[in-house]
Amino acid sequence: MSLLTVDQIVSGYGDMEVLHGVDLRVDPGEILTIIGPNGAGKSTLMKTIFGILTPTAGAIAFQDQDITGLSPDRVVRLGLAYVPQVENVFPSMTVRENLEMGAFVLRGDLRERISRVTELFPVLSKRWKTHVGNMSGGERQMVAMGRALMLDPQLLMLDEPSAALAPNLAATVFERIEAINESGLSILIVEQNAKDSLRLSDRGCVLAAGLKCFEDTGPNILANEDIGRLYLGGE
Amino acid sequence: MLSRIPQLLFYGLVSGSILALGGIGVSLTYSILRFSNFAHGDMMALGAYLTLALIPVAGTLGIPSAAIGPLSFGPRFIVAAVVGMACTFVIVVALDRLIFRRLRKAGRITLMITTIGIALSMRNALQFFWGPQPQYYTARIQLAIQVPRLAIRVKPDQLFVISVAVLLVALLHLFLRYTKTGKAMRATSDNPSLAQVTGINTERIILWTWVIGASLAALAGVLAGVENKFITPELGWQMLLSIFAAVILGGIGNPYGAILGGVIVGVSEEVSTAFISTGYKPAVAFGILVLMLLIRPTGLLGRRS
Repeated sequence: MSLLTVDQIVSGYGDMEVLHGVDLRVDPGEILTIIGPNGAGKSTLMKTIFGILTPTAGAIAFQDQDITGLSPDRVVRLGLAYVPQVENVFPSMTVRENLEMGAFVLRGDLRERISRVTELFPVLSKRWKTHVGNMSGGERQMVAMGRALMLDPQLLMLDEPSAALAPNLAATVFERIEAINESGLSILIVEQNAKDSLRLSDRGCVLAAGLKCFEDTGPNILANEDIGRLYLGGE
Repeated sequence: MLSRIPQLLFYGLVSGSILALGGIGVSLTYSILRFSNFAHGDMMALGAYLTLALIPVAGTLGIPSAAIGPLSFGPRFIVAAVVGMACTFVIVVALDRLIFRRLRKAGRITLMITTIGIALSMRNALQFFWGPQPQYYTARIQLAIQVPRLAIRVKPDQLFVISVAVLLVALLHLFLRYTKTGKAMRATSDNPSLAQVTGINTERIILWTWVIGASLAALAGVLAGVENKFITPELGWQMLLSIFAAVILGGIGNPYGAILGGVIVGVSEEVSTAFISTGYKPAVAFGILVLMLLIRPTGLLGRRS
């Protein structure tokens, strides 16, 4: 049984159709990376899965439950968490408050969850009271991922987690992603510069011009010369 | 002329308290609903008139009208004001459900023009029911008391205005800082799309925004009536320019900025009367507004957008 199934999704912004019937499947415990050029519809797909955009056709199911057209505040309760590419933190709030917001839909004590997140991102525990707006890009990305993990989701959706990060910071982020995955969490990553991401992915697929045009295991995609030339900056 | 300044500073604190209470709602509406509410002043007047209408009602319930201590009003008036605040937010929430909710996706300009329409309707409705002439909460006359060593004279009512404003601002601070709903409001104002992604129900936050904004607006209207000794349907509209100046000075979207801006604008307006004719008071607010927009459009506590 797959965790997430996307079936012939058509979606976009207003009259502008970006996705023209995309299929996608995420299995439990795997990392799936979607690569593709700018404007291919990668972020649109993420937003549609999460209910920020409403598809005009097709269906999305999470754990065999139909979530097509469900609003984000409903989707988040089912065990999906989403880290947008940009503006993925609350800048005027502190690190701790950002994490608390991640668990907004939960009641009760959050201390255990917070300590679990800070085990993954130790750098955060020293900066509890820092306003996230004053933090660096790498630290913000940690806050953003930490916030998403507060809900203890079953599927973590990351939109370009390494975008705008220095190479060493990007490496740290991917190392964290791998650690998160080892705890059993499924991860769906969208990446433009996707070599690092594909390297740790079970599977990858290529999205171009609003259609999925290729799918294979991570290593196979990395080895594929055509894809390398077209989408991974060539050799 | 300079000897009047301590006294004017005090008057400025009184009117600044009222501006701050009005400004908080404007700022919250701007940051969470993303539009400038030109009906906010008339929501203040609405609260002031609903309180006026509720005073006799509280009387029939047997709530005593005898003045509390040195104040010019008693429990009857306070109960009327609290219920008036509640009635104001009920009306404002109903307006949101009837009008603003349908326009959530409309642009800022559409929404702003809508608020101007609501402002005109509200003001004229007040005039229709109560007439344009001033109405009085009480006929009691209160004498100012000379404060020893400070060259100022204060009325107990004025101290009441400042105390209520300080109390409410402190409560608002605690609410925004420590409650789950307050944090969710700050999150929504910070980043509305991310707030939605974390599971915050935006409609619920909008509801809270109106409840707080409208209640504080109504309170500001009532306190303006206490300070001025009378109310007219124009009461809030006349203060709206000063309120917007205060909100922009402090940094629009930041309720703490609205409080700071309110006090600065209030004090500037009053102190200016030592040097220029009282008739130019609105020009002071306007001057602050223009100056701020030229020098630092994000305001004193505003953040870059």
